Amino acid sequence: MNSSIVRIIVGQVLKVEAALLLLPCMTALVYQERAGWYYLLTAAICLAVGFIFTLRKSKNDVFYLKEGCAATALSWIFLSIFGALPFYISGEIPSYIDALFETVSGFTTTGSSILSDVEVLSRTALFWRSFTHWVGGMGVLVFLLAIIPLSGGSNFNLMKAESPGPSVGKLVPKVAYTARILYTIYLGISILELVLLLLGGMTVYEALLTTFGTAGTGGFGFLNSSMASFSPYLQWVITIFMILFGVNFNAYYFILFKKAKKAFQMEEVRAYFLIILAAVAMITGDLVRTMDFSNALRTSAFQVGSIITTTGFSTADFNVWSQTSRTILVLLMFIGACAGSTGGGIKVSRILVLIKTMLKELNSFLHPKSIKKIKMDGKPIEHEVVRATNVFFCTYMMLFAISVLLISLEGHDLVTNFTAVAATFNNIGPGLELVGPAANFGFMNSFSKIVLIFDMLAGRLELFPLLILCHPVLWKEVISRKSKIVQSRNLDRKY
Amino acid sequence: MFEFLNPGKKKKGQLGLKIIIVGCGKVGITLVERLSREGHDITIIDQEGTVVTEIANLYDVMGIMGNGASYSVQMEAGIDEADLIIAVTESDELNLLCCTIARRVGHCAAIARVRTPDYNIESDYLRDKLDLAMIINPELEASREAARILLLPSALEVNSFAHGQAEMIKFQVPEGNIMHGKTVSGLRKELRSEVLICAIERDGEVHIPDGEFIIHENDILSFVATREDTIGFFDHIGFKTNRVKNTMIIGGGKAAYYLASQLIKMGIGVKIIEIDKARCEKLSILLPKAIIINGDGTDQDLLEEEGIEYAESFVPLTGIDEENILLTLYARQVSQAKVITKINRINFKDVISNLDLGSVLYPRYITSEAIIAYVRAKTNSTSNNIETLYHMFDHRVEAIEFHVAEESEITNVPLKDLKLKKDMLLCFISRNEKIIIPGGHDRILKGDTVMVVTRDTGFNDIRDILE
Repeated sequence: MNSSIVRIIVGQVLKVEAALLLLPCMTALVYQERAGWYYLLTAAICLAVGFIFTLRKSKNDVFYLKEGCAATALSWIFLSIFGALPFYISGEIPSYIDALFETVSGFTTTGSSILSDVEVLSRTALFWRSFTHWVGGMGVLVFLLAIIPLSGGSNFNLMKAESPGPSVGKLVPKVAYTARILYTIYLGISILELVLLLLGGMTVYEALLTTFGTAGTGGFGFLNSSMASFSPYLQWVITIFMILFGVNFNAYYFILFKKAKKAFQMEEVRAYFLIILAAVAMITGDLVRTMDFSNALRTSAFQVGSIITTTGFSTADFNVWSQTSRTILVLLMFIGACAGSTGGGIKVSRILVLIKTMLKELNSFLHPKSIKKIKMDGKPIEHEVVRATNVFFCTYMMLFAISVLLISLEGHDLVTNFTAVAATFNNIGPGLELVGPAANFGFMNSFSKIVLIFDMLAGRLELFPLLILCHPVLWKEVISRKSKIVQSRNLDRKY
Repeated sequence: MFEFLNPGKKKKGQLGLKIIIVGCGKVGITLVERLSREGHDITIIDQEGTVVTEIANLYDVMGIMGNGASYSVQMEAGIDEADLIIAVTESDELNLLCCTIARRVGHCAAIARVRTPDYNIESDYLRDKLDLAMIINPELEASREAARILLLPSALEVNSFAHGQAEMIKFQVPEGNIMHGKTVSGLRKELRSEVLICAIERDGEVHIPDGEFIIHENDILSFVATREDTIGFFDHIGFKTNRVKNTMIIGGGKAAYYLASQLIKMGIGVKIIEIDKARCEKLSILLPKAIIINGDGTDQDLLEEEGIEYAESFVPLTGIDEENILLTLYARQVSQAKVITKINRINFKDVISNLDLGSVLYPRYITSEAIIAYVRAKTNSTSNNIETLYHMFDHRVEAIEFHVAEESEITNVPLKDLKLKKDMLLCFISRNEKIIIPGGHDRILKGDTVMVVTRDTGFNDIRDILE
């Protein structure tokens, strides 16, 4: 493996993090909080480490999928390790594991918290907590690709490792432009939400934090009651934007570049909206027995939007809802948002592929010799994609089962264990029972927290980049590099 | 608002071109590699999904699976905004169809690869009628290169223009040469062949000579001529070209045909060994002057019988690279022949360069060179009329080939009546596949290709030659 290029990318990511840490510093300046110094200190540390990492140039910039995966996974790990520092140094979260949990939860746009009372945190800390959502939502490497011209042609492998979805396509030929388009759409919708929230009477600070949480489909609240205390107008705005951020961003690209017809033909997006409509209808029917219709509709829409997009905001304690509604929400957790959005979960497109594979298999029992290609958006899907989707699902289930087992060692009830893993693995936030929307993850022991941290990262990076990092062959290659081939490659380039 | 995201609306020199490449074979991949490194926006189209995925993973390009000649696939690839389409699939017909459709739909320039000799004879007609920017023929280009190696000393620097019909050759005047002390116009009168001296470097200064310019020893001359005239010119001034008198070609494919016909034109004896009887008969009709041997060219006994030891040059052109390499190595062992090895497919460049293979030809690089020269010319200018652009003498002189697409104040006027810029020279006019070295009474006509050598840079149009 070409470990030097991986080192350089991680270094670049840390430099970006240093720049991002300046934003909470500005918050501290506005509110005259002392906490800002800790963020400045962390920024300096990030910059120094990033500088050291990028000091030595890479011998060659050949870049394959394994380098892309390793660089992505390591970047996210380093990002979290350093991002957790200010919480820890300032003493606002006394345990480093807790601080790490909170930061990973932020970057992976999970929104699970270990804090029982968020309102005691400094505004700077709250800002950084929510801002990590926004950064993690579209991905820090995609950001890196958008701003820094990386040499070497195959940096698409980076984007592939970080972007959610079974098959990542480019919008335009160049990765850098694709990344720039994605970030522009992301920024554009975020600003739109910010404006609408400000119109609803939120303060700038509140509106910013809410926007960060919605855009990244994160879900960190800055009030103990999450979003319940806001006006119906604001709740509707948040609902709509949560759902919008769960849509495949390719659809927005098509709309922007006058190919709107193509956007509405996307099977995944249509299925996504159908699922939302069905779930909202069922839960509203359930809730309407205890409250008036408009309230029931708003609450159910908010909760469905929040769970399917894996945001995790809440306006009601759905832990106390009927078993039917709770079950629907848990199922939505697994479905997740669209591929190519900021959301997590298995992804609607994968579910579609799985369902179609199942139907095809059924069909092959009726006509054993029939040949049928699985299609999506009217185009046949390559066998590779179908295979990768199936393998993803198997791996997902296995990791899920192992995680539930490991958490259960602590001795809580099954619903807690199951939904705790579901909520972190799918990057949602709150689960049910002990980890319900009104509770938090603070009571768990360090071991469980580490398992959940792993789950959050694995869920955000779609399993394989993180798993490949655990593969012994990769490390063997790092240790015994063969330089001969590097030399001949360089010669080749000169030729 | 999204302008900066959309590389389609380009300002000059700011961003790369939008290029669509149809077909991802050897040449296709080489083009992707080279052009993506130069920063162009590339979309590839191929029927094979796996090939497309592989290339899209390796290079910064977008891949589309499908038939490149289909309208909807071209639309998906963004033909309406593209600057250039390059069709390099296996099939000549598909390439031509791709380009024809692209010309109708978009406003892009089109380059097609056409290899069959049938079409090649008509390539100028096709290019004109189908309105293509370029028709490239890797076999022809490769055989031209091979012929050059066999005919001219390798010390020369050669650039070709007008689709290979004219060449610009750079060489140093040897000491005591008969050219010493003669004026350019005097030399021209003396020679019967059409040779135009277009740039002279002396003591680090580059001059674009007029008729009164006196040539000295050790000057570095650049002149433009056709291949035949070049040989005549060198013979006349007594410059040793060490050219061969006979050659032995193994394999009778397209490249062999092209090479043989060029060598025969120069009066060089050609012997072709081809295994397929029917092909032999066809070759004997096409090349009446060549000796065609029906037999296995990889058979050592046959090679000895046909006198490989006495061959002055030996060019294996079988379809299999490994065979070519072995044959060359064998010829090196048993004879003194000048050898040329053609490598179509295999990569191991380091290994190949360590072998004693004589001159090595890579048709895919030669082809991509030609296309890249075109793309560079297109990137550097806003007009579509520049066909090729070469920088010479460390960028101090530009040689530009213009296509004269429409009537203007410079057409139909005798050259002596035009007010031309100084430090600029009209080198040749290419009309109906003929090269004209222009005199004062010649005129530029619509449809001509004109080559200009200049010390000014930034020529965009043929009209820029006027004061």
